[in-house]
Amino acid sequence: MCFGPFPLHQTMASRKESAASGSSPLETPVKQIQIDGLVVLKIIKHYQEEGQGSEVVQGVLLGLVVEDSLEITNCFPFPQHTEDDVDFDEVQYQMEMMRSLRHVNIDHLHVGWYQSTYYGSFVSRALLDSQFSYQHAIEESVVLIYDPIKTAQGSLCLKAYRLTPKLMEICKEKDFSPEGLKKACIGFEIMFEEVPIVIKNSHLINVLLLDLQEKSTVADKHELLNLSSSNHLEKSLQLLMDRVDDMNQDIGKYNTYCRNLSKQQQQKQQYLQRRQQENTQRQSRGEPPLPEEDISKMFKPPQAPPRMDTLLIAGQVNNYCQNIKEFTSQNLGKLFMAEALQGHSS
Amino acid sequence: MSRFFATGSDSESEESSSADEITPKATGTTFNKNKEAFTPNLILCCPLRFRFEELTNIIKTIRNAMKIRDMSKCLEEFEQLYRAFLKSKTIVDKEGVPQFYIRLLADLEDYLNQLWEDKEGKKKMNKNNAKALSTLRQKIRKYNKDFETEIASYKEVLNSSTNVISLCRCQDEESESDDDEDSEDWGSDSVDSGGESEDNEGAAASLAVVFLKKAQDGDKQHEPKKDGRRKRHKKIEQVEEEVDEDGEAEEGGWEKVKGGVPLVKEKPKMFAKGTEINSAVVIKKLTEILQARGKKGTDRAAQIELLHALSGISNENNLGQGILVKIKFNIIASLYDYNTNLAAFMKPEMWKKCLECIDELLDILFENNNIFIGENIAEDSENLAISDQPFRVRGCILTLVERMDEEFTKIMQNTDPHSQEYVDNLKDEGRVCGIIDRLLQYLESKGSTEEVCRIYLRRIMHTYYKFDYKAHRRSLGLQGETKSEQDQEESEGEDSAIIMDRLCKFIYAKDRTDRIRTCAILCHIYHHALHSRWYQARDLMLMSHLQDNIQHADPPVQILYNRTMVQLGICAFRQGMIKDAHNALLDIQSSGRAKELLGQGLLMRNMQERNAEQEKIEKRRQVPFHMHINLELLECVYLVSAMLLEIPYMAAHEFDARRRMISKQFHHQLRVGERQPLLGPPESMREHVVAASKAMKMGDWRTCHSFIINEKMNSKVWDLFPETQCVREMLVRKIQEESLRTYLFTYSSVYDSISMETLSEMFELELPTVHSIISKMIINEELMASLDQPTQTVVMHRTEPTSLQNMALQLAEKLGGLVENNERVFDLKQGVYGGYFNRDQKGGYQQKQNYQRGGYRNQNQSSY
Repeated sequence: MCFGPFPLHQTMASRKESAASGSSPLETPVKQIQIDGLVVLKIIKHYQEEGQGSEVVQGVLLGLVVEDSLEITNCFPFPQHTEDDVDFDEVQYQMEMMRSLRHVNIDHLHVGWYQSTYYGSFVSRALLDSQFSYQHAIEESVVLIYDPIKTAQGSLCLKAYRLTPKLMEICKEKDFSPEGLKKACIGFEIMFEEVPIVIKNSHLINVLLLDLQEKSTVADKHELLNLSSSNHLEKSLQLLMDRVDDMNQDIGKYNTYCRNLSKQQQQKQQYLQRRQQENTQRQSRGEPPLPEEDISKMFKPPQAPPRMDTLLIAGQVNNYCQNIKEFTSQNLGKLFMAEALQGHSS
Repeated sequence: MSRFFATGSDSESEESSSADEITPKATGTTFNKNKEAFTPNLILCCPLRFRFEELTNIIKTIRNAMKIRDMSKCLEEFEQLYRAFLKSKTIVDKEGVPQFYIRLLADLEDYLNQLWEDKEGKKKMNKNNAKALSTLRQKIRKYNKDFETEIASYKEVLNSSTNVISLCRCQDEESESDDDEDSEDWGSDSVDSGGESEDNEGAAASLAVVFLKKAQDGDKQHEPKKDGRRKRHKKIEQVEEEVDEDGEAEEGGWEKVKGGVPLVKEKPKMFAKGTEINSAVVIKKLTEILQARGKKGTDRAAQIELLHALSGISNENNLGQGILVKIKFNIIASLYDYNTNLAAFMKPEMWKKCLECIDELLDILFENNNIFIGENIAEDSENLAISDQPFRVRGCILTLVERMDEEFTKIMQNTDPHSQEYVDNLKDEGRVCGIIDRLLQYLESKGSTEEVCRIYLRRIMHTYYKFDYKAHRRSLGLQGETKSEQDQEESEGEDSAIIMDRLCKFIYAKDRTDRIRTCAILCHIYHHALHSRWYQARDLMLMSHLQDNIQHADPPVQILYNRTMVQLGICAFRQGMIKDAHNALLDIQSSGRAKELLGQGLLMRNMQERNAEQEKIEKRRQVPFHMHINLELLECVYLVSAMLLEIPYMAAHEFDARRRMISKQFHHQLRVGERQPLLGPPESMREHVVAASKAMKMGDWRTCHSFIINEKMNSKVWDLFPETQCVREMLVRKIQEESLRTYLFTYSSVYDSISMETLSEMFELELPTVHSIISKMIINEELMASLDQPTQTVVMHRTEPTSLQNMALQLAEKLGGLVENNERVFDLKQGVYGGYFNRDQKGGYQQKQNYQRGGYRNQNQSSY
């Protein structure tokens, strides 16, 4: 999987400044996202054409903020290029693309990016970093996560996420130590927030669709009751298990850290006590007390493992669980339905 | 000093030349011999002597180089000489330029000029030499200007005595035209004497006198010396011839020795002329010689010579066997002493001498029943003189023989195992064994049980690792077929198994030191295992409880233990006891240091872990090459048994989360095999096993079989077993069985039922075998199935969880672990907080927790 942090070009930062000059934090944060049907189709098409297996496709979202909703009106894919052509300038490409779109009178404002996912695994460091840089430059920007596998099963799965203000703060400070995270009261549940999505087409398109529906020759053979369970579930479980393993490892690391820390603290305490005793003895003898020494130098605290990864893993695990839950509940529903149908027919 | 040299020069040049054969420069001898001549002024002269000696040494090399026309060497040495001369400047200032130095300079210049003129010769020279020649010529010309007057005076004198020198030269040439060996000796000798006499010159006042004297000396010397040489050569030959002959002839041989040059000089020193030689005198002399032993500067080679001479004398004068034995003891001891360094090994000639001596000693001991030897006999209670009482001699032959055995091991350790030399050395093993056998007989009649135990152990040590082919053949009943004279003879002897049994049992019963018993047990087990007596070997191993306490033993015993375990494992493998084989080999193989653990070589490690001292010690522990256990065979046996165990196990526990590996090593090999980007046909033994394992995983026993048993593997591994055919048959069968099991584990979910006949056809096993294997699997609850007797089929029950279920189970297990870990962190936290953090922080933490919980609840509410 290649999660390259998505490059941002200069104009965006400048735009942000001009936009932010009026009101630095958005007065009314984006409450919902309105996506054009065109964008959805374009994303799907992009994945169909370029993504396969666990590979990930990414692209740029264009649009604008209207009151408390973010309208995403267009997008363009980010080209996949091999490592061989080094001279490929990503920023240049992005600029060119946006300039061209502007010429044909399309919204050219950068409002975020999209990315496909493989069985719902997207919570990663790379995503966090690039989303942070986006949100840092353009406050309203979001990341659209598109799950092609679920979509292929018949239910469109598109979700918009953004980082919570708290996480933004932490990322700004780059303090991922256990203490820092504790102080910020951040848990995996409040790292990302999902923004509700509305898909909206123009009236003309709706009319066209209705028109097409009547002419459509495609037989509507819906496999509504298809469970398609085993493979999907297995894959999810497999991925979940891997994450759990990672988590376990992380906890182990943290555990050793804690133990080392406490051991050292004890030693420090002992040392201080001894020092004190000696000093009192010396005092009673009328000698000058021992000179102060730099304790922090003598006992260097062990390097704390960064906790951000653990949080991300937890977030990912949470994500998987949600997925599985959703999937199984759907399947259960289907099973009950099937039972009912059977009973009815017999 | 001048006195010292003037008198001593002749004998000394002899001396040092004889000693030169072994020690490069025997300065010690001179001091030693002339102890009486030590005078205070000698000590004062020391720096002078030291400097001059350095110079003369260099001059000697230059003269040698001149002789062979090695100009580059000449140049090199000349530069060195120049430096050395500068160093001794102070002395030179005091004493004047030494004559020998001038002499060399003059000679060298003449020589160079001569060469320079010789155009043809120059052409023939190689480039280096020619270049060196011109450089040297220039140098010496410049240098000699400083010594012009001296050289001139020297040349004057030289001219006056030319005739004498030419005479001398003639002699030289003549001698050089003698036979090869002789002339070689001769050449070095003449240089030696030259060097020494040059010393004289350094001290002597008048050059001419000395030089003339020297020339005359040389004249005189040449004749007797040459004779002496001849005689010595003859002597050596004779001694060699007479080794096999009886004592009478030997005496004659020894007489010649006395006639030999070195002894002519020494004899008067040993015993003044006319002294009546009796035992008391000889003993006194002996102690005198022995006192020098171990002292610094003692020439050990000369000591051995002296002792030999002494034994000759005592023999000649019929002083009785007691003294002879005593002297022999000391000869052997000083032979051992010859190498001061414990790590160094004996030179071949020394070793030969040592063997001969011990043999002779044993001869004497066997012939004379009235000699008592022992280390507990005090020095003063010895009885060496001939009398009615039996001889009593202090000394322990057992120790000597043990030491000899160790020396033999050392020699074998230090010989390149792939050379002819090794084979030659190994031939001595027979003699070593012979000596041990003879001593064994001797001690059985005379020695204490302790000594008997020790010699028994030596005997065992030489027996246990040898495969008894004749017994093997006899057991196969093939004796009649190969019938050469030798075979017949060999098969007369006792079976090594019987010998081992007898010796070991004696040790078990009588030994009081644990070490000997432990070694004996291990050797016994090894021998059993080597001859495929698995049950005896195993029982002995289990009964001895060695496995529990072997870690307290010393490293050599541990190495022996490792060897035994490995042999046991290989034996189990041959017998088809795969599991036992695997268990026995596991410890050795899993460490990856099999080579080191078996004492068959040192592993390359960085120097931090092991300094030079340790390395030396470890080197001393190495097992000689002919006792090695083939490591490839070992590894192959291990890997194949691991394969036979692991592959079915892996198939059976495919979804087990807490699957344990049976053999890490094997898994490692598998992984290495998988990592290969391109899989060619297997080359090495490991690749073969990996390929076979892959085939077995699929239940494809035929491919597996072809990978394990084929030409390559046969030549590499299987042919090394004595019962190759049996082993191969066993292997095939095992492969078939285990493949069947693997097949059932892997594909049982595909079948509803499967006919046993099909299975028996597929794996070419008889129906009852298939039946028994499947029954076993069902009983062990490895296979959820039942047998349907009438149709001869296996009906699967399908109680195996699906892969999804398996996965869920695994996940549950993992989550359990996660929770556990989490709890641990939490425990630690609580302890920590109670410990030393102040209360504010504690409160803060709780508050935050509350807050967090609240936040979580809020979020929950919002999301639902």
